[in-house]
Amino acid sequence: MPRITLHNLLIPIVPNVPTVPFSKIHRRTPMNKFLYDGTPEGLVSAIASILDGGGDPAQAHLAVRQDTLFEEGLFLRTDPAAAEALFQRLRQGAPDAVYTLWYFMMAEVDDLETSLLRYIALAFEHGDRVNGYLTHADVKAIVATARKAGRELHRMKGLLRFEQLRDGTWLARMEPDHNIIQPLAQHFSKRLRGQTWFIYDVRRRSAAHWNGRDLSFGTLEQFTRPELSEEEKAVRQMWQSFFKTIAIPERKNPRLQKSNMPAKYWKYLTEKQGE
Amino acid sequence: MELQEKITILSGAARYDASCASSGCSSDTPRRGTGNTSQGGICHSWADDGRCISLLKILLSNDCRYDCAYCVNRSSNPVPRASFTAREVVDLTMDFYRRNYIEGLFLSSAVNVSPDHTMEAMVRVAEILRNEERFGGYIHLKIIPGSSPELVRRAGLAADRISVNIELPSSESLRRLAPQKSKEAILAPMKLIGAEAGVSLVERRKSRKAPRFAPAGQSTQMIIGASPETDLQILRLSQGLYQRMNLKRVYYSAFVPVNDDNRLPVLAAPPLLREHRLYQADWLLRFYGFSAEEILSDDAPNLDESFDPKTAWALRNPGFFPVEVNRADYATLLRVPGIGVTSARRIIAARRFAPISPEGMKKIGVVMKRAKYFITCSGRPFERTDQQPARLRQSLLLGDGTEAKVPRQLVLPGLG
Repeated sequence: MPRITLHNLLIPIVPNVPTVPFSKIHRRTPMNKFLYDGTPEGLVSAIASILDGGGDPAQAHLAVRQDTLFEEGLFLRTDPAAAEALFQRLRQGAPDAVYTLWYFMMAEVDDLETSLLRYIALAFEHGDRVNGYLTHADVKAIVATARKAGRELHRMKGLLRFEQLRDGTWLARMEPDHNIIQPLAQHFSKRLRGQTWFIYDVRRRSAAHWNGRDLSFGTLEQFTRPELSEEEKAVRQMWQSFFKTIAIPERKNPRLQKSNMPAKYWKYLTEKQGE
Repeated sequence: MELQEKITILSGAARYDASCASSGCSSDTPRRGTGNTSQGGICHSWADDGRCISLLKILLSNDCRYDCAYCVNRSSNPVPRASFTAREVVDLTMDFYRRNYIEGLFLSSAVNVSPDHTMEAMVRVAEILRNEERFGGYIHLKIIPGSSPELVRRAGLAADRISVNIELPSSESLRRLAPQKSKEAILAPMKLIGAEAGVSLVERRKSRKAPRFAPAGQSTQMIIGASPETDLQILRLSQGLYQRMNLKRVYYSAFVPVNDDNRLPVLAAPPLLREHRLYQADWLLRFYGFSAEEILSDDAPNLDESFDPKTAWALRNPGFFPVEVNRADYATLLRVPGIGVTSARRIIAARRFAPISPEGMKKIGVVMKRAKYFITCSGRPFERTDQQPARLRQSLLLGDGTEAKVPRQLVLPGLG
């Protein structure tokens, strides 16, 4: 497992939230209702300020600022230092919970902030044992969400397909539900270390690049699929033949195939082209 | 012959081997090399029969001098024959691996000149992959019964997993259906592999640089339904293989009639449900602390088709229940139908915080439609736990009307 830093959480590409003057939305609120700017860093920072401010996590409510006229709640401004401090403390006290947080962020869900707040409060109280507290609704929600992201990451480690381009580099395209490009690229930076490759998340327009030594991430404005190498077509055909004949005809079971390999992943699967 | 055609012939001939595991060991990518292995294994695709594809499962050759009754490659079958060169298999493996189609190679072969001749050719493929291509991905080599100990050793040093197929569940059936294979020729390499793996483990405790011998262990496979053995005989055999031979996995392969042969039974379809039940029972042996004799007896030597083997055991042992989920230890929880390894662990972790309520059981992932007849939560039963066995069977089979009836789906855990 790679060592996670707060920086890892921030790589996920989040939409830009329009900046609104702080004073305009900052008003006193009788309820324990808090708002943040919708960024992962803002979320960690907001949780830090609620917990550090002595708020009762069981009563508090945290959500993304929508900037509507009638929105109620105290806007917590993102404080990178506070986010970093909370993150370090969590890593000391509950290293497994840091992984859960990392995977949770990949899910990009935006209605579980309050559950995350309570989960982190419980992690400080109980350490890594918190992940076993599945009978607690908030813990269950966070752990289940993180686990779903982990499951898709594992699945994509198998389902990602690289194709060789004319210049000898390799390209893999995908459209996963979760924002898993970072750990996925780390996996392939070890496995396919000797190749130069790109992984492109078509939906998020984000890309990972491995140049044989370093991994870098970015977003692409435009993407056109480059020409494939001469060899590529022949290898694809061989794989398709293999795929067809390896199934036992007497045991044909399309339902089982689909439940193991949902159709949403077929788009980029070499063996499923032309179906 | 075109490579494409060879692939079709030699993967078609390899598909009846059930194993596709790429799990059981974890290693880093070699320096200037390609590929690593991951502890849990990775499935790369699922074929049209729903079985996972993790390895390039292929024969080096299907040109066989043996005439085993059940085998599609037997010498008397008029099928097209083909053989790969070592280089062809190596290139195919690397081309597929670089595109992330596969986790590695599973190489088996028909036997033509002699067991040693074939084994040597297979070992050479693995050695070229490791030494010339610096391939660090998963390699599973089939051991040809009757090959020399030296070749078995070389295979174990090059591969992550090696396996000798036991083929049929008794030596009597082997004599009848595979007369050119003997029990001794199958068991000898199995024992040798077990011993070598043991030596390697001891050596590696002394030095991390000591060579690894088949780090993902050995497995075997047997055909179910081609011969008359009972499930009890089969489970006893598996139990012995796990306990005495230290095998990682025994695969069960439902007999698919590919040949007309009067020594073989005539079946309308492969016995998939029986295979499924055997895998469930196999899990009980390996992870649930059951013995073959608890699962079956001489009076009832075959697995129940209607119930999974754990539920069947629970129905025969009403005195064991109900189990109190907030107090029972791990081994006891594991015996409750509907509670698996994961949920038993979760129950123990969660009840440290607070007693588990019925609602909590669902959150944990317990299959309540089975478990509810066998447990209490802080003393409270869910259902009458003193029901007559006949009624209980009925409820388990048909549900109690409170939940929608889900059609029974056949899943194949061993092949997933």
